[in-house]
Amino acid sequence: MSGRVLGLISCNYNNDAFGSLTSERGMAALPFGGRYRVLDFPLSNMVNSGIRTIGLITPYHYRAIMDHVGAGKEWSLNRKSGGMFILPGSIYGLKNMRSTFLLRDIIQNRAFLERGDEEYVIVSGSHKVYNMDLRPLIAAHRASGCDVTLLYKQTADAENHRETYLSLDGDRVKGFAAEAQGSAACFMDCFITSRELLLKFIEWYKALGYLDLMDIMAENLPNLNVGAYPFAGYLGRLNNIRDYMACSQDLLREEVRREVFSAEHKVCTKVQDNPPAKYGASPNVHNALVPTGCLIDGTVENSILFRGVHVGEGAVVKNCVIMQKTVVEPGAVLENVICDKYVTVSRGNKLFGTAAKPLVIPKGSEI
Amino acid sequence: MSKKECLAMLLAGGQGSRLGALTRKIAKPAVSFGGKYRIIDFSLSNCVNSGIDTVGVLTQYRPLMLNSYIGTGAPWDLDEAAGGVYVLPPYATQDGAEWYNGTADAVYKNLDFIESYDPEYVLIISGDHLYKMDYNLMLDFHKQSGAELTVSVIEVPPAEASRFGIITAAADGKIEKFTEKPARPDSNLASMGIYIFNWQVLKQALLADAQIAASEHDFGKNVIPMLLNEGKRLYAYAFSGYWKDVGTIESYYQTSMDLLREDSEFDIFSGGQRIFSNSNIYPPHYVGEKAVVENSVVCNGCTVLGEVRNSIISSEAYVGAGAKVENAILLPGAHVESGARVMRAIVGEGAVIEMNAYFGSLDEAEPVQVCGDGEHIKDDLWSRGY
Repeated sequence: MSGRVLGLISCNYNNDAFGSLTSERGMAALPFGGRYRVLDFPLSNMVNSGIRTIGLITPYHYRAIMDHVGAGKEWSLNRKSGGMFILPGSIYGLKNMRSTFLLRDIIQNRAFLERGDEEYVIVSGSHKVYNMDLRPLIAAHRASGCDVTLLYKQTADAENHRETYLSLDGDRVKGFAAEAQGSAACFMDCFITSRELLLKFIEWYKALGYLDLMDIMAENLPNLNVGAYPFAGYLGRLNNIRDYMACSQDLLREEVRREVFSAEHKVCTKVQDNPPAKYGASPNVHNALVPTGCLIDGTVENSILFRGVHVGEGAVVKNCVIMQKTVVEPGAVLENVICDKYVTVSRGNKLFGTAAKPLVIPKGSEI
Repeated sequence: MSKKECLAMLLAGGQGSRLGALTRKIAKPAVSFGGKYRIIDFSLSNCVNSGIDTVGVLTQYRPLMLNSYIGTGAPWDLDEAAGGVYVLPPYATQDGAEWYNGTADAVYKNLDFIESYDPEYVLIISGDHLYKMDYNLMLDFHKQSGAELTVSVIEVPPAEASRFGIITAAADGKIEKFTEKPARPDSNLASMGIYIFNWQVLKQALLADAQIAASEHDFGKNVIPMLLNEGKRLYAYAFSGYWKDVGTIESYYQTSMDLLREDSEFDIFSGGQRIFSNSNIYPPHYVGEKAVVENSVVCNGCTVLGEVRNSIISSEAYVGAGAKVENAILLPGAHVESGARVMRAIVGEGAVIEMNAYFGSLDEAEPVQVCGDGEHIKDDLWSRGY
């Protein structure tokens, strides 16, 4: 069934709210969950749903993304027929900073859409974390006869999250809003449409390449049959540093972990062949995620560590996200801190953020 | 096919019968080790790290797990267009079908495979040894000494020497005497079962050995003594470093526990040559609110809610709330349910120590207990030592 569906993931998105965390990598390449990057989630969702031809629209800073996905080996996308296609994205400038589906990027890679014979295309963003079998969405779209079907989740606290919200009439979309109150239908940056219609959009709007696909959809809403499909599972929204910390901490909850890291629909990622994590004589580790390559001698609480992190004796890491190969030397104390990769926090230093405003330490810093 | 300077033949057909429950359903090279590895990872990784990109893996006993584990060889970067990894099981010919009868016979039956690459040298190694070694250094030695066969040797304690093939060599390494498992060893240089042959010498030796009805077709017992008698140039290459042939449950257990020692010679945790493995992609392991983890190795995909001390917790293993795991090895997917205790024991792949059950004993005089793959240990008074 899904052999007739093409995947298109836009990684050409950035968000200035993340400061140094995304200054040299797109949002899609943001490390998340101890060993993943955010892109792993939409990409694995597609692969786990049987989609084997996937285009990745890369950001201008594509080094991190390319380093991560390579030829798509870990996702079984290094194939003779189909596989992973790297589609160069445009430079968006400040105006389109938060635009997810730039028409220009799709026009530029029109050949990818034209060449296939797939009937449908699933278009997805790359900065939301969820684990979902997309096959029911495909089936619902096919059955409904809609031109486009948008994926959404009914969320409780819309006022706290800047997202695109859908105004719905049953399962039909009547309008879009940038803000909402209370319980609202949050668009998950993922929709399915026919390849033909997407090519038509490109044809009609080719002179207006600066538009976002969602703007085009809003403009044509009266003339299009746009459906909506609800998702009931966990949705991690990463719109700012506070969100990032909150979503990371969500992974410490068993029910979230069980769903997001589902054994049935595995999230794939780049393999590094690190040795297992090693714990010293008397570390204190409570409520933490620890991947391979870590050496733990100190205290780690309510935190997410990435591969190859060292926590020295007497060091304390509390409510933190510590990225790859960061070294927390003996006696250093970190609370509510997000450490990017390759940071060294030397002996006895104390770094404190707050839950509302975590302190971010840029990549490679020596403190 | 293109010519290779050095090709490796990896012997992986042995049962390892003294490993008991650990090899009931899988060959010894496929036995899990160090949390996320299988024993064969070490020799395969050594090949790749030494620049050898063509490896024939000789399988026989229970090959299913090895076949699926090795796959295309991609996890070791052995998915090479010109070379790569080949799994070579016994096969039938017009004259009938025969098993591999001995290590030399296994290689003899695959002379065609080696011939197709026409190498200068053939490296013969075992898939069931634990060590890190750069075979290039041995190959350099082989070339410089002008040897026709080089045997890698390691010093062993004199008391253990009678378990090995023992070599007496001149100061420059020229082998003067080779005795397989001597009752009274006169040297403590043991053969590690790692050989580099000049290809033509190997070929002639195997063709000759195949004709000898009385031969057991074993490299150590037959081929090497034969070449020595013929006056061929045999040299011993002295290897220093960690090398273990885990033959028994006890040595498997000790070698695993060596990983936890601060001063261990066998260091898989820091730098140097990486050991590659075909590991599934699991999320980081979760350590619970009330968990205790001390002096242990823990892999991805695990959940630890109870207490773990001096233990190796392999991928996807589970330690329930209130459970205690001490001086033990949990193999991949093993479950220790809440309230259960595991002491100085090995819990097989996917095995379950049920709620409140006790398994093993901290008494060092007792043998290390093994719970076979997929077995269940139930809670009963007997298991708690009543």
